[in-house]
Amino acid sequence: MIQMLITGLICGALLGFVMQRGRFCLTGGFRDMFIAKDNRMFYALLIAICVQSVGVFTLIQLGIIDFTAGNFAWLGVIFGSFVFGIGIVLAGGCATGTWYRAGEGLLGSWIALFAYMLMAAVMKTGVLAPVNTEISSITLPENSIAATFGVSNWIFIVALLLITGGLVYRELRKPKIAIPSLKPKRTGLNHLLFEKRWHPFVTAILVGLIALLAWPLSAATGRMSGLGITTPSANILQYLVIGDAAFINWGVFLVLGIFLGSFIAAKGSKEFRFRMPDKKTGINSFIGGLLMGFGASLAGGCSIGNGLVMTSMMTWQGWIGLLFIILGTWTAAYFVYVRPQKRRASQSTPSQQAI
Amino acid sequence: MQKTLEVMGQVCPFPLVEAKSAIETIQSGDELIIQFDCTQATESLPRWAAEAGHKVTNFEQLGDAAWSITIQKK
Repeated sequence: MIQMLITGLICGALLGFVMQRGRFCLTGGFRDMFIAKDNRMFYALLIAICVQSVGVFTLIQLGIIDFTAGNFAWLGVIFGSFVFGIGIVLAGGCATGTWYRAGEGLLGSWIALFAYMLMAAVMKTGVLAPVNTEISSITLPENSIAATFGVSNWIFIVALLLITGGLVYRELRKPKIAIPSLKPKRTGLNHLLFEKRWHPFVTAILVGLIALLAWPLSAATGRMSGLGITTPSANILQYLVIGDAAFINWGVFLVLGIFLGSFIAAKGSKEFRFRMPDKKTGINSFIGGLLMGFGASLAGGCSIGNGLVMTSMMTWQGWIGLLFIILGTWTAAYFVYVRPQKRRASQSTPSQQAI
Repeated sequence: MQKTLEVMGQVCPFPLVEAKSAIETIQSGDELIIQFDCTQATESLPRWAAEAGHKVTNFEQLGDAAWSITIQKK
């Protein structure tokens, strides 16, 4: 219990800290692929996947951890991931993003987080559990991509490394433009940790290393998986209302640690303040949270569980899930950002012509 | 001429969305002062300004999670 508490909190705190300082926002990243044609954050995610993949499969090879991909609940993954993608745009952050923004004092994220936990619990042990079980029972036998083709996982890992390497190389070769930054007021480690702008690719390597670290730490407490956000978030609420200590596991301390780490990072860099959203943002956060809880439970993972962890395990669940999360984000981004702007533009043009 | 855009309380990416439409309403050489409290905008606003070729004439932190950036339209 003590070990679970300490290693879970530390791993989560590292992740929360790194994500807050590195501005590691997958929702924003997926959205910007569509509205700004900017793929940087997606490439950053690929880097994190590569780091974790090489690390975890090495640990598996050495017999330190154990992994079976199981079967592929394709309908739940596709439908759930798409709904989750819509939800994260409305909530203004993915599951992990919502945890770390809650740590920055954004009350809209607290609302989203509560709705997310609630809906995840409703789907896992509440009235919608039969729906969840029903949809998740529609499966294909093979979840491992390598097993489907009857080859080694390393073939796909090497392919991913080459593709990611190529994309990153091309991105880094683009002519640099000087981006104005705040005048540094701190020096040394203090500047590095609490002030300096972190390059997204550096942040991504750190995120990948933390995701890798999660495996042995979690396994040591009997939980054989990597980073996970949705189930532990639901577990907190389930534990609180049911009072059964069986709901407490390494993941619970991991998510609490994300909140803590982000708070420390935000407080230390003078970026913490309680901020109340307006009515519209508040309502969107609530609806977004519900959709996230629904979608992630159905898909068996969020943008971290499927998008970062199951992808690096080279599973269909991970890659198909990631694809549909991205498609969901784009769909929501169209209705939330692109269409209102087009409307505004078409309304303002005639009046400008009149002048 | 200066124009102030107050987007305190708005979450990412709305400060950027608002800034992009506000800059359309000012003349070349005029300045747009944006006051915001969204952490992620400390990255997205200067980045957009630099990429669009506008000049950042001031960028400062006003207090805990509150910033001001002044962008001169190209």
